[in-house]
Amino acid sequence: MRTACFVMSCVLGASLASAQTPKIQPAPKTADGKPDLTGVYQASPRRGDWDAEAPGDEPGVPAPRSAVSINTTASDPIPFTPEARARAQDILNHRSIDDPTSRCIFAASPRISGVGLFPIQFVQTPTQVIILYEYLSSHRVIPVGGKHPEDLSPSFMGDSVGRWEGNTFVVDVVGFKPGGWLTGGLVTSDALHLTERYTRVDRDQLNYEVTIEDAKVLTKPFTQRTTLMLREGARLREYSCAENNMDPGVYEKMLKDPAASQSFIRGK
Amino acid sequence: MMSHSVSRAGAAALLAALVSAASLSAHHSFGVAFDATKTVTLTGVITKVAWTNPHTHIWLDVKDANGQVVNWMLEGYPPNVLERTGWKKDVTIKVGDTLTFFGWRARDGSPYAHLREATLADGKKLYFGPPAGTGEGPATVK
Repeated sequence: MRTACFVMSCVLGASLASAQTPKIQPAPKTADGKPDLTGVYQASPRRGDWDAEAPGDEPGVPAPRSAVSINTTASDPIPFTPEARARAQDILNHRSIDDPTSRCIFAASPRISGVGLFPIQFVQTPTQVIILYEYLSSHRVIPVGGKHPEDLSPSFMGDSVGRWEGNTFVVDVVGFKPGGWLTGGLVTSDALHLTERYTRVDRDQLNYEVTIEDAKVLTKPFTQRTTLMLREGARLREYSCAENNMDPGVYEKMLKDPAASQSFIRGK
Repeated sequence: MMSHSVSRAGAAALLAALVSAASLSAHHSFGVAFDATKTVTLTGVITKVAWTNPHTHIWLDVKDANGQVVNWMLEGYPPNVLERTGWKKDVTIKVGDTLTFFGWRARDGSPYAHLREATLADGKKLYFGPPAGTGEGPATVK
């Protein structure tokens, strides 16, 4: 299944690329010969300019395209433990009302890397790779080489250490606070361990692959993949999520209303 | 090579199938506040605009069937997303402008809606928020 999805993603990516912009240019290199990840990207299936929603979508239809324009992550099936699966179903039944991001809390990179609404910027030096996410105005400073610090303090985005494996920048991420939400109702624990692989396959396309391990909520690791496409001219802007975040108050008000509260639950 | 025969729409549909297991949301899912079965289309006059994160809001005075004016609060994308899709603060919409909106109502029935498509006074149509269902994930864990 995992291999099949990977092959389909490759075929699809190649199809889209050649159908729209046949000219493929090689990935740039830094002065020290490493692939240069520098640039502003958007999670998207196609290369070219910023991928806004396609004009002509039927506005009244809950469009499957929303999954494309907002999130481009392809995921293996999530190997939940029975307890984690039950929790995930409860979350989906309640339409993710307790999602930490609705309170502007940061999320781990597998979640924020696939949100195509917001650009992601890579800044690369020989000793660090810095990733800036417009979503929630968050960032990661990833040292190249070395180890995780001894005095690691758990955080929402974890502690990252990178290394080069050929043309791929591999990032090991540990040190998470428990309770973060990832895909499909998966709530992670302090045992979360990510292995990210960033490969700039050509000038326009940066492949993101992440293997997610968490022995407390998963029976085995699983992998997700997103294509990040270069968006020259796009710039990151401020996203100060707490500025006017009415959502928790709105939910609380609705939950006190018996009719509205029931309508949160699917099938009611 | 099949590449040139693959339409963007077809490719998008295929990709949508691939990503069905992911279903991430930005900030919050559509369904926590809005009901995808309750569409609403209304015209009114803008009384306030909040060009703020995490959502942009428009307040709109709308006359109901009895001639009573109801002030609706309409929610959409954050400013960054709107500005990348053709909206300009204080230019595209202003207090006093007439606006028609299509969207979905809040679950509690209050005059609060998710604004999907805005029709401006000059007839121009722009998206203000994502489609219904965005970020809700599958009904059953996969």
